[in-house]
Amino acid sequence: MRPRTIEEAAALLAGASAAGRRIRIGEDLVTDALDRVLEHEAGDLTCTVEAGIRLSALRGRLAAAGQRLSLDPPGDPTIGACVARRLSGPLSHRFGPPRDLVLGVTLVLGDGTVASSGGKVVKNVAGYDLGKLVCGSEGRLALIARVALRLHPLPAASTTVVVETDDPAGIVGELRRSSLQPSALDVLHPGRVALLFEGREEAVAAQVEAACALVDGAAADGAVWDEARERQARALGRLAFAPGELASVLASLDEAVVRPAAGVAYVATPVEAGSSPAALGLHRALKERLDPAAVLV
Amino acid sequence: MTLPGGFVDELVAAVGASHVVTEPEALATYECDGLTGWRALPACVVLPGSAEEVQAVVRLCARDRVPFVARGAGTGLSGGALPVAEGIVVSVARMKRILEIDLESERVVVEPGVANLDVTRAVATDGYFYAPDPSSQQVCTIGGNVAENSGGAHCLKHGFTVNHVTGAKVVLPDGELLELGGKAIDGDEGPDLLGVVIGSEGTLGIAVEVTLRIVRQPELVVTQLAAFRSIEHAGEAVSAIVASGILPSAMEIMDTLTIQAAEEAYRPGYPEGAGSVLLVELDGVAAQVDEDADAVDRLCRAAGAFEIRIARDAAERAVLWLGRKGAFAAMGRISPDYYVQDGVVPRTQLPAVLRRIDELSAAHGLRVGNVFHAGDGNLHPLVLYDAKVKGDYERAKALADEILTACVEAGGSLTGEHGIGVDKACAMPSMFSERDLEAFERVRRAFDPDGIANPGKVLPTPRLCGEVPGPYRPHPLERLGLAERF
Ligand SMILES: Cc1cc2nc3c(=O)[nH]c(=O)nc-3n(C[C@H](O)[C@H](O)[C@H](O)COP(=O)(O)OP(=O)(O)OC[C@H]3O[C@@H](n4cnc5c(N)ncnc54)[C@H](O)[C@@H]3O)c2cc1C
Repeated sequence: MRPRTIEEAAALLAGASAAGRRIRIGEDLVTDALDRVLEHEAGDLTCTVEAGIRLSALRGRLAAAGQRLSLDPPGDPTIGACVARRLSGPLSHRFGPPRDLVLGVTLVLGDGTVASSGGKVVKNVAGYDLGKLVCGSEGRLALIARVALRLHPLPAASTTVVVETDDPAGIVGELRRSSLQPSALDVLHPGRVALLFEGREEAVAAQVEAACALVDGAAADGAVWDEARERQARALGRLAFAPGELASVLASLDEAVVRPAAGVAYVATPVEAGSSPAALGLHRALKERLDPAAVLV
Repeated sequence: MTLPGGFVDELVAAVGASHVVTEPEALATYECDGLTGWRALPACVVLPGSAEEVQAVVRLCARDRVPFVARGAGTGLSGGALPVAEGIVVSVARMKRILEIDLESERVVVEPGVANLDVTRAVATDGYFYAPDPSSQQVCTIGGNVAENSGGAHCLKHGFTVNHVTGAKVVLPDGELLELGGKAIDGDEGPDLLGVVIGSEGTLGIAVEVTLRIVRQPELVVTQLAAFRSIEHAGEAVSAIVASGILPSAMEIMDTLTIQAAEEAYRPGYPEGAGSVLLVELDGVAAQVDEDADAVDRLCRAAGAFEIRIARDAAERAVLWLGRKGAFAAMGRISPDYYVQDGVVPRTQLPAVLRRIDELSAAHGLRVGNVFHAGDGNLHPLVLYDAKVKGDYERAKALADEILTACVEAGGSLTGEHGIGVDKACAMPSMFSERDLEAFERVRRAFDPDGIANPGKVLPTPRLCGEVPGPYRPHPLERLGLAERF
């Protein structure tokens, strides 16, 4: 199934629901024909896209207007996948996970109901925020059909700093107590901390100089970010921890890519999802309400 | 106003006699929130002292299907904490301990009754602050902020409550305790329950513990106040600043009427002849802020600013903010009564919508003051009226409603920060289709199958709005789609 419009997608899900069929989004139903940029209002720093558009395609469109979506996960997923699988990359240090960039969504529920939430404005508290709810839903609550996104200006300058260290937690602590404001801060464990500074040219230069002096780093090219993303993509588990426990978390791992301010480590072995009984109960209740025929698997 | 027999005794057993309020005079304290036009006496108010006590109270409500309304400081402006006459109010006022300050993790764990500003106070000497800063921050509670997803002048850069809450413990409408997130950002697996609970206006459960992200104080803060002859010019300056790629922490505009009121009330001494003032605040790394400040100065002058003042320390800053911070209260100097509206428009639509507000104001013969969060398109039109003049309130309300319609038609929203509550529940169909609302209802039922958590709020009900649904306009997202509503 490869719907070209949201109506088609809705008809497909309604049909599957009536016939008792199961659909796995991304396999049985692909969204790559739902890939239009519906609106890009540069002056508002927002855009609305169909969820099947790939990050690379969107990146190209936005760059032409001097803007970007500050989301840089490994590979080239669709926007829908970024949201459904809460995919993010190094820039999440400053700009947050997908949930912080989604302003509104149009969903197709399991029974074919098309419903929207949020809007296209950057500030909005009307109604429940279903755009957040579907973050991490893995395509099991609804098909994400349209997404409105918050954009940022492309920075005038950007410079990477890499620190070779056997005490990354110490380095991260130094940086935290400083007034530096990197856009990305990854620990490539073991042995390295990578920083990305973005902004006006002189301001970036000043931050790079201050950072190098503070933590004995050196300016580097951006290859380290590709490495971080590759290692993140290879990781089998995502470990959440209190950021203050970075040192002990690192001590327990042979290898990882770590976003220390968020408290997230991408690790080599699977991590048990630790959802509480109450949370699991709610996942079930939401599934029953939003996808009553259990079409989406 | 009747609770099941013995219910109050069971509440007393759960939280202690001194924390159960039933006398009508005492109940009157709780009959409304900041939206004082709506009032109802609850059957009873309980003030639990712990998460376990909240659970015990909610379990009783669930057993007997007694509606409950959570309450923080009661500063809400949409009637979210308006009691239900046949139900109880659960006030978290006694739960105001800061449970943990974890500087290494940059997190603070609080009970829901902690006042917003107390979080910043607790970490300021360590060089941190809690970023969401509603103007009511001295009193409003973190629980209320979570329920409303509150913002403030500085959310333009720093984000809203939802961007600063990493974890919460929530008592669900069946009395179970739901633990969400923790100290990691976006740490849970599965759908983002935390994200949907925040901003749900107390309809999905009661927050009993909240983990907040705190932010390092910036190296430098620079505030500029630019005076323009007209609000159009101030608006152009805002667009130019946004287009240049600068992200100020705040951008606020005041128009002629609000300047006049502020001058009468506080004498902030704004530049002579200013038809509008624009406040721009920049924070961050010194080198960046300095460069941005120069650019803001240039862009404002190019847009027609005839005077620009600059503040580089807290004392100077306070002077520039004086008129803005007191703008609502100052309205009392020029009008006996005023109605505060809260609507959002895409930033590029600001000039058009401001013109529309002017037209509506003229058509209704009532003055409207505009003081607003220009950077994120969040308007707070103040409709001036005189309650003693017959029909004036109704006209003011009608005007305020039409302004809201103009916001939604421009692709915006019914509310940027005050919430839907009871106030705008019946307006929801003007922004959302029946199917959108049905989806909201399904989510609500998943959390609260019996509908006992803050009933009558957020979603329109026949009882509140009559059977006739409001006029449907396509959702802002839907309007964009080539594919229309299914
Ligand atoms: C002068 C003034 C200025 C204001 N300025 C701003 C502003 O700049 N930005 C802004 O966003 N808002 C502003 N507000 C609105 C208001 O202060 C916020 O909405 C605030 O978050 C409400 O907090 P509260 O503790 O007073 O909540 P309440 O009014 O007591 O309750 C608000 C809602 O939250 C629910 N609730 C309360 N506690 C809990 C809990 N523990 N768990 C679940 N639900 C709960 C209630 O049921 C209700 O629906 C302002 C209000 C006033 C009076």
